[in-house]
Amino acid sequence: MLLKLNNIFKWVQSGGQRVFLLKDINLSIEEGEFISIMGPSGSGKSTLLNVIGMLDDFDEGEYNFLDESVHNLKEKHRANLYKQYIGFVFQAYHLLDELTVKENLEMPLLYSKKSSSERKSLVADMLDRFNIVGKKDLFPSQLSGGQQQLVGIARALISSPKLILADEPTGNLNSKQGEEIMELFKQLNDEGVTIIQVTHSKKNAAYGSRVINLLDGRRI
Amino acid sequence: MYKNYIKIAWRNLWKNKGYSFLNIFGLAIGITCAAMILLWVEDEVGYDSNFSKQDVVYYVPTNQQYEGEWRTFFQATPGPLAQVLKEEVPGVVGSARTSRMDLLFQVGEKSINKGGRFADPDFLNMFSLSFIEGNIETAFNMFDAIVVSRKTATQLYGENTSALGKVIKVNNDTNYTITGVYENLPTNVTYNFDWVAPFERYAEGKEWMREYGSNFSDTFVELSPEADVNAVNEKVKKILPAKTEDEETYAFLHAMKDWHLRSNFESEKQVGGQIVYVQLFSLIAIIILLIACINFMNLATARSEKRANEVGVRKVLGSDRKGLISQFMAEALITASIAAIASILLLKLLVPQFNTLIEKQLVFSLLNSVHVLVLMSVTLVCGLVAGWYPAFYLSSFKPVDVLKGAHRKQGSAPFIRKGLVATQFVVSIVFIISTIIVYQQVQHVKGRNLGYEKDNLVKIPVTGDIIKNFDPIKEDLLASGSIENLGLNNSEILSGGNNTSGLEWQGGVDTEDVLVSVRAISSDFFDAAGMQIVAGRGFSNNPLKDSTNIIVSESFARLMGFGTAVGKTVENDFTIIGVVKDYLYDDMYGSSDPVLFFNNHEDARFLYVKIKKGMPLGSALSLLDKVLKKHNPAFPFDYEFVDDAFNAKFKSEKLIGSLSQIFALLAIIISCLGLIGLSAFIADQRRKEIGVRKVLGSSISGIVGLLSKEFLQLVLIAILIASPIAWWLMQNWLESFAYRIEINWRVFAIAGLAAIGIALITVSFQAIKAALANPVKSLRTE
Repeated sequence: MLLKLNNIFKWVQSGGQRVFLLKDINLSIEEGEFISIMGPSGSGKSTLLNVIGMLDDFDEGEYNFLDESVHNLKEKHRANLYKQYIGFVFQAYHLLDELTVKENLEMPLLYSKKSSSERKSLVADMLDRFNIVGKKDLFPSQLSGGQQQLVGIARALISSPKLILADEPTGNLNSKQGEEIMELFKQLNDEGVTIIQVTHSKKNAAYGSRVINLLDGRRI
Repeated sequence: MYKNYIKIAWRNLWKNKGYSFLNIFGLAIGITCAAMILLWVEDEVGYDSNFSKQDVVYYVPTNQQYEGEWRTFFQATPGPLAQVLKEEVPGVVGSARTSRMDLLFQVGEKSINKGGRFADPDFLNMFSLSFIEGNIETAFNMFDAIVVSRKTATQLYGENTSALGKVIKVNNDTNYTITGVYENLPTNVTYNFDWVAPFERYAEGKEWMREYGSNFSDTFVELSPEADVNAVNEKVKKILPAKTEDEETYAFLHAMKDWHLRSNFESEKQVGGQIVYVQLFSLIAIIILLIACINFMNLATARSEKRANEVGVRKVLGSDRKGLISQFMAEALITASIAAIASILLLKLLVPQFNTLIEKQLVFSLLNSVHVLVLMSVTLVCGLVAGWYPAFYLSSFKPVDVLKGAHRKQGSAPFIRKGLVATQFVVSIVFIISTIIVYQQVQHVKGRNLGYEKDNLVKIPVTGDIIKNFDPIKEDLLASGSIENLGLNNSEILSGGNNTSGLEWQGGVDTEDVLVSVRAISSDFFDAAGMQIVAGRGFSNNPLKDSTNIIVSESFARLMGFGTAVGKTVENDFTIIGVVKDYLYDDMYGSSDPVLFFNNHEDARFLYVKIKKGMPLGSALSLLDKVLKKHNPAFPFDYEFVDDAFNAKFKSEKLIGSLSQIFALLAIIISCLGLIGLSAFIADQRRKEIGVRKVLGSSISGIVGLLSKEFLQLVLIAILIASPIAWWLMQNWLESFAYRIEINWRVFAIAGLAAIGIALITVSFQAIKAALANPVKSLRTE
């Protein structure tokens, strides 16, 4: 068992009333799964992903991640947990514009205080694996969207996380680039990485092993 | 990690050249200004600090009571005091009578005028003169000895000739033998001197110098290092009353470390002096730095939206808040460091101008470890102050908020930003108001009716045969047609000194103990100086006829009570033959003490010459030179215009005036740099709004108004806050002058309008640019 959500509620107060963003979510995910979260806009897909990624709080319920009770953890421990085990991929890539491809890849390793030689070899491996050695000194603005997302995924993978969270990873890409990215996810999943993606597209969802549907913050 | 911070900071600076320039330039101006002020402060605080006996040497002023009030006098101790202090006050281990004097040194054809002191032998040791030639212990063993500074020796004999043992002619009269050459004193020395000669020779034949009646000497004492200064001082205070049985005059100690900065006294108390300006300018340095830092804060937080994304990504990738704070701090420090380098260049450029302005020789040097250290600390503090708010603000963003790309709310930042802009303008407006008021006050005093005509009036120090040949000199000068008149005086027209008190007169006695100045003049002095006789008559051309006659000033006449003063006697022997209009001397802001004039120019020290109006000054001066050369050939022609000397009396006011001008200008420039950045940013932020408004039919002026309004409000608030602050500051400053202006409300209006004008011009530039932009473009990019 990688993670388990029990009766998760999340709400905001609006005009004296609670508006539920997540309502009684129960979910358990095993290592090696490839899950797609689907639902219309505003159904809580991203919120759920952020809760799983520990970037966002919830108001009620229990969340266990690898035997740790996330709901009982302090902010700092929680941050350490996600730094160690979770990689994030974003729809808008979110590469740092001022850094080159190589430097963007190196960033998480700097924060986890890896030695310089270790960083060098990990970055070189990643560049190799994604076939972007030739692009290592370019800045993000010099890359196509598909290439940027490739770098984004490489960056998420570089600290060898157990879980990848991807929020509409192909949303800004054309269909051909999107397919390539999905193929890459499939391949990673085959290598043992657990993946949770938020997506609007049935086609993309089909790459996964399980689909979770949300409507108005509830599982349906 | 830090390498990464520096890299990203550098690339950020490079990418946003405009903002970076505003930031760096603003900070560089701030640092440069602070550095120049600190250089000045260093010089001021360093006064007399080169003397190794700074802690044990004291000057001896006197406190004297007149009209029930204690006044402090310098150069006002009697001759015997020095010796008595050394003999009778335990703890005093050295003492010296001294008198400052200008002497003319002649060697062959060369003659130079140098200021120095006649002093008792202990003086040499008190100022720990380091002798290049001769011996400090034996230098004053000879009666006709003189020791000179290296500069003086070089001027007389050149670099390579030893001056030791050389005989020089002094004042075309007596000979002195050089028994020592000492290393030049630094420039920041309170009591400067280019030569020292034994006091005994100066006092020879002057019996009044050995009596208690005349207060003329600059007395210095040295205490033993173990002595308790306060205990010694108490004993010193008792000496004069004990010797003279006059309770109303006593001497006291003034420490060397206070000579320059704390030399003002009021009612027996030391009340500061130059130190006030040192403190004031230090404060101003900090304020200028602060408003430069504010620019940085504002531009950094205003651009936060662009950086928010980066913060989110870094947090997701594993950075904690501390890491981000360090990163933003590092950025601020790098910016500050670049600014510091720029300011080193600016300093090279501006310090010479600054020196001209403040009449000092300050040098900024990268080889001076103190300078480098201070510059580095200023840079560091600047970086930290400028960086902390953006760092804390930016690092507080939550990744989940920023990464979705939604426009985030800015929280308290816009409010704080407005507050900071308003603060900058408060400072600028306070400076503008102060500048105007200081200028008005100085003009006000300068325009005061002095009681004499200072224009075209030349003061010539009396040397050699001027008194002896006064009549032929006068004849020649008047015959030339370009000289109005000339007269002699034993005092400078602008200065105090030479006074007495406790006079008696016909029908009364001075019960108040008023201090009265005494002047001995030649008959034409009033005419030359343009002073008016308001009652009676002036002096006769033959001083012998006036040997028992005096002329008094109006205020002395008033002192004597009702009725005309003319015809009454003073001290039984002297008859008042005339009353002259009061004139202003010594303290240009107060009212001057009453004056008695005698018709006697035997001991005159200054010749005053009035050049006719409309005469070219150059030819008048060469005429003076020619005539004086003829009748006083041994001495070089030396002169000073009285209006120059008058202007020099406002040196510290002038300094404040010019500095507050500079500070006002800098504060405005820095604030405007900030405004340019902010208005550009806000115009950018509201691009879409502007586009929509234009499509809906708004005019360009409507949009410019919309964008300018926000800043205008801030400036208005700043005016409201700055006005009372400036009023309070200036009222305080003005109260230190007896003769002063009233603060006029128009000053505030002018300063306010100036600030509004400047802000509007700055902002409208960006606003017009934004308003002219094609709306289709700005709407499409959304």
